[in-house]
Amino acid sequence: MSDIALFGAIEIGLVYALVAVGVFLSFRILDFPDLTVDGSFPLGAAVCAVLLISGVNPWLASLAAGLAGAAAGLVTALLNVRFKILHLLASILTMIALFSVNLRVMGRPNVALLMQDTVLTPFYGLGLPDHVVRPLVVLVIVGVVVLLLARFLSSEFGLAMRATGVNARMARAQGVNTDAHIYSGIALSNGLCGLAGALFAQTNGFADVTTGIGTIVVGLAAVIVGETVLPARALLLTLVGCVAGSILYRLAVQLALTADVIGLQASDLNLVTALLVAVALILPRLKGKSRSARAAR
Amino acid sequence: MIVVKDIHVTFGRGTPLEKHALRGIGLTIPEGQFVTVIGSNGAGKSTFLGALAGDVLAEQGRIAIDECDVTRWDTPKRAGLVARVFQDPLAGSCATLTIEENMALAAARGRRRGLALALASERRGGFRDRIAALGLGLENRLHDRMGLLSGGQRQAVSLLMATLAGSKILLLDEHTAALDPATADFVLDLTRRIVRENRLTTLMVTHSMRQALDYGDRTLMLHEGRVVLDVAGTTRAGLDVPHLLALFAKQRGGEEISDDSLLIG
Ligand SMILES: Nc1ncnc2c1ncn2[C@@H]1O[C@H](COP(=O)(O)OP(=O)(O)O)[C@@H](O)[C@H]1O
Ligand SMILES: [Mg+2]
Repeated sequence: MSDIALFGAIEIGLVYALVAVGVFLSFRILDFPDLTVDGSFPLGAAVCAVLLISGVNPWLASLAAGLAGAAAGLVTALLNVRFKILHLLASILTMIALFSVNLRVMGRPNVALLMQDTVLTPFYGLGLPDHVVRPLVVLVIVGVVVLLLARFLSSEFGLAMRATGVNARMARAQGVNTDAHIYSGIALSNGLCGLAGALFAQTNGFADVTTGIGTIVVGLAAVIVGETVLPARALLLTLVGCVAGSILYRLAVQLALTADVIGLQASDLNLVTALLVAVALILPRLKGKSRSARAAR
Repeated sequence: MIVVKDIHVTFGRGTPLEKHALRGIGLTIPEGQFVTVIGSNGAGKSTFLGALAGDVLAEQGRIAIDECDVTRWDTPKRAGLVARVFQDPLAGSCATLTIEENMALAAARGRRRGLALALASERRGGFRDRIAALGLGLENRLHDRMGLLSGGQRQAVSLLMATLAGSKILLLDEHTAALDPATADFVLDLTRRIVRENRLTTLMVTHSMRQALDYGDRTLMLHEGRVVLDVAGTTRAGLDVPHLLALFAKQRGGEEISDDSLLIG
């Protein structure tokens, strides 16, 4: 693997680390399988790209992308909490709707960012090659997000959110307004995905409505890889695991694609990822089964 | 103090499975009273406790707690006034959170939860002291997940959690039914101690007539959503399990209940 390919894999892994952390929040913390991210990621990219083109400050544009993602999450939560639509279905509805919304936001399927300043611009030309600068800047952003999120989840509010996902009945009996925590958790999760979309657009120089496809599976894959390589219980470590999982996943993909013997093409990525996630979901069950079968004997 | 005025609860209204579970319950429970509640399966005991806690809203009647009309309040809102321990030891705590995290959750009951650290160090010390008083050696396991504890330990911690926020009402729904006899005795003794020390107004549902008479100051018997027996003081002191059994049999239309060994306890 070339230097550029290596740093490229790390860079994209870091961008999707925010998705992984968001997916961790919805799937693991809230136990809310949320597919909205397939729409909120490209929504973030679209909002950011359009704002950058109209001359908005890149940090503000990124923030706006996060807020747009959060708003999308709120819609899913509303459909589920207020109107009692099954979480999975509620999120699919939002995701499908977002495809149209994203086209509207951009006015066309694809927007290129050529001359626009991005959050990366100030760091180019300081001595490091561009392909190193990009992952470094994203790493700092991801690091700050992970620290803030770990602190948030350790707060009284965050603890109540975790309880909502583990045992909603108990949480309510302890005075936790579980609905409010679903709203804020799903909004936060999709806000992070929106921010990831914004970073994607800025590091890759474009926003495209089709980039969202499979985001959820990639995020899940990262979470699962992270849990495997870093089976920690401390919150901060678990979040770091999500980040590591996302990078490892991209490195593995890069390796698989460059190893000609396997004969994989870039377009096989979704199939391979889906297989990986499926296997990772099936394995613990099989292990559990053989264990209980042994115990029964 | 709890004042209940003629509450009715119907499940599945308008469906073929419609069930009129509470049919006009009215009573006043003065502050600090310990009430035991008995009744056959399906009598409405859990529904009654659920109606007090806010899990089910009464479609008719009123509920006041400490002079406050809570009839339309939902569970989280009432949680500031009411603490509970469930029958299923798994139901009353979060298995994947640590003991101290569960305690922190309970300690914030009825308060606004902000961004302050849930486990600030001074608070941890307080938790350690409180849990050490249980005498189970759990003070060294505050970082363990709740799911690692036995059923009895979990119920003991749940009881302790019920006292952390300083609410004055405790609802216990067969909280020892899932435990082995020795553990059940331990948890019952602990219940008595905690209720006394914190001067809690308590409702305890039990399957055992023996317990219903041995614990507390007053006993209610529910049948088909109504209170059919309400005794306290000397009348209650004069009652024994056979009396209750006879009353029970009468309520059930004289049907044979000797096979219902659970009720004799
Ligand atoms: N959520 C519910 N939906 C429908 N019916 C219910 C529900 N909860 C309880 N019931 C019915 O209400 C009646 C009283 O139940 P419950 O209060 O659990 O009885 P107990 O605790 O005294 O055994 C039973 O007939 C039960 O089947
Ligand atoms: Mg019951």
